[in-house]
Amino acid sequence: MRKARIAILILSLIAFCASGDEFKFPLKAGSVKFAAIGDMGTGEAPQYQVAERMNTERQQFPFDFVIMLGDNIYGGSSGKDFEKKFELPYKALLDSSVKFYASLGNHDNPNERFYKLFHMNGANYYTFRKGNVRFFALDSNYMDAKQLAWLEKELQNSGTSDWKICFFHHPLYSSGKTHGSSIELRSLIEPLFIKYGVDVVFSGHDHVYERVKPEKGIYYFTEGSSGQLRPDGLAQTGITDRGFTDDRTFMLVEVAGDVLYFETLSRGGRIVDSGELRRPVRAPEQPSSTEQKNH
Amino acid sequence: MTTRKRKIRIKYLFPLVMWGLLLASAGAKPGTGPAAPSEEAKNGADFKEFMDRVQAYVNLHKAIASSLPALKPTDQPEKIANHQQTLAQRIGEARRHARRGDIFSQGARKAFRRAVREEFGGPHAHGARTTIRQGEPLKTIRLRVNEPYPDGLPYTTLPPTLLLKFPKLPDQVAYRIVGRELVLLDVEANLVIDRIPDIFPETT
Repeated sequence: MRKARIAILILSLIAFCASGDEFKFPLKAGSVKFAAIGDMGTGEAPQYQVAERMNTERQQFPFDFVIMLGDNIYGGSSGKDFEKKFELPYKALLDSSVKFYASLGNHDNPNERFYKLFHMNGANYYTFRKGNVRFFALDSNYMDAKQLAWLEKELQNSGTSDWKICFFHHPLYSSGKTHGSSIELRSLIEPLFIKYGVDVVFSGHDHVYERVKPEKGIYYFTEGSSGQLRPDGLAQTGITDRGFTDDRTFMLVEVAGDVLYFETLSRGGRIVDSGELRRPVRAPEQPSSTEQKNH
Repeated sequence: MTTRKRKIRIKYLFPLVMWGLLLASAGAKPGTGPAAPSEEAKNGADFKEFMDRVQAYVNLHKAIASSLPALKPTDQPEKIANHQQTLAQRIGEARRHARRGDIFSQGARKAFRRAVREEFGGPHAHGARTTIRQGEPLKTIRLRVNEPYPDGLPYTTLPPTLLLKFPKLPDQVAYRIVGRELVLLDVEANLVIDRIPDIFPETT
C-alpha cells in the first residue's frame, strides 16, 4: 500500500512536471506559423519519425510552411534520393500543401535550387515575405561579394516594420563540438545583421539543438538534429541558453505582432525548449567592425 | 659666369630635373630601368588573363546549354540530374583535349598562390583554417579535369575572406576546395574544369 502511494506520488510529480513543460501557442488569426528543420536528409528511420511527429503536431499547430536549414539531401542527387530523403518522409505534409523553403548545406548539390518543391526558384539565395515576416535564405557555403551585396541591398530595402529572419546552414554562434561557430562568416555578415536589424537567425550544420543567449540583440538557433544527431555534441562554451542532444528535434514557430513564440520538440513529442521572444526596439546601428567596409 | 650663360644652363637643366622628378615619383630607381610592377599589379594582370579564359569557357557553356532544353524549376529531380549529366557530357566532348592549366594559366596559378599565402599568413589565417576544418574537408579524392565532381560528396566551405580575394566569377562557375587543391567547377554541369594542386597548407 505504501509502495503504491509512493508510486502515485512519483507519477503525479512527473505529470506535474510534464504539465509545467506544456506550452501553448496563441494561434492568433493572421499570425505566421512555420516549422524549422535542419540536417534531415538522410532517408533513415529517425528522419521519417521526426516528419511523422511534425504531421501530428500540425493537427494542433497548423503551420503553413517549413524552412530547411541545409543538408536537405545527403549522399546523392538522383530522383531516388529526392524520393527517399524528401518526398516520402514529408508526404503527409506535402499532401496538405505545406510549402518547404530550402537553404543549401555543404552536403547539398547546388542544383537542388532547381527543385520546385524547395521553392528556391533556381537561386542559391533568395528572400520571401509571409505576413509581417521577411525571410532571407542564404548560401553560407559560398559567401562571395555578389551575395554580400545582394544581402545588404535586400536588408536595406526591407524597411523596419517587418520581422527579419535569416536562415542558412553554417551557424554564426554554436557550441557544437564537431563544427562550432563560423567565425569568418560571422565577421562578414553579422555587421549587416546588426546594421539592418535582423531579429532571429536559424542554422544547422552541428547535429544538435541549441538556443544561444542573444548576441548583440539577435536570437540564434541551431537546429541540426532533424535527421542526424550528435549525442553529447555540445561543449560548455557559456553561450548556450538551452541545448539538447538526446534525440532528434524540430522547431515550431509562430510570429504574432511583435512576439515570436517557439517550441522545440523531440520526435517522441517531448518539449525540449519553448518560449517567446519580443522584437527588440532598436535604432539601426553602424556595424562595430570595419571588416565589411574593407572588402 | 655671365647672366646669359646662366640662363642657357637653366634652360637646359630645368627639363632634365623635371624628368628626373617625374621618374622618381613613378617609382623608378636610378640605374635599374623601369619600375618592377607591384604584387597587386601582377595579380591584376594575371587575374585578367584568368578571367578572359573563364569568360571563353562560359561562352562555350552557354552555347552548349542553349542547345539543350532550358533547365527550369521542376518537381521532377530526374530532369535536373539528366540536365546536369547531359551538359557535363557535351562540355566534356567539346573540351576533350582540356588539360590542367588551360584556365588557371601559369600566371594565374602564381596569383592564386599569392592570394592563398597572404590569407594563410595574415590576420585571417586562423579563421580560414577553422572554416575549412569545419567544412568537412575532403582528403582522399583526386579529381581530374573534365570529370564530374563525385555525386554525394560534401563541398568544403570556402573561407569567405579568401573568396573575397579571388576574382569574382560568373554564375556558371565556382571555386571549390578539395583537399589541398583549388578547383574550378562548372556548377550547373557539376564538372571539374580546372584545378591547382597543393595550393592550400597541409594543416587544413
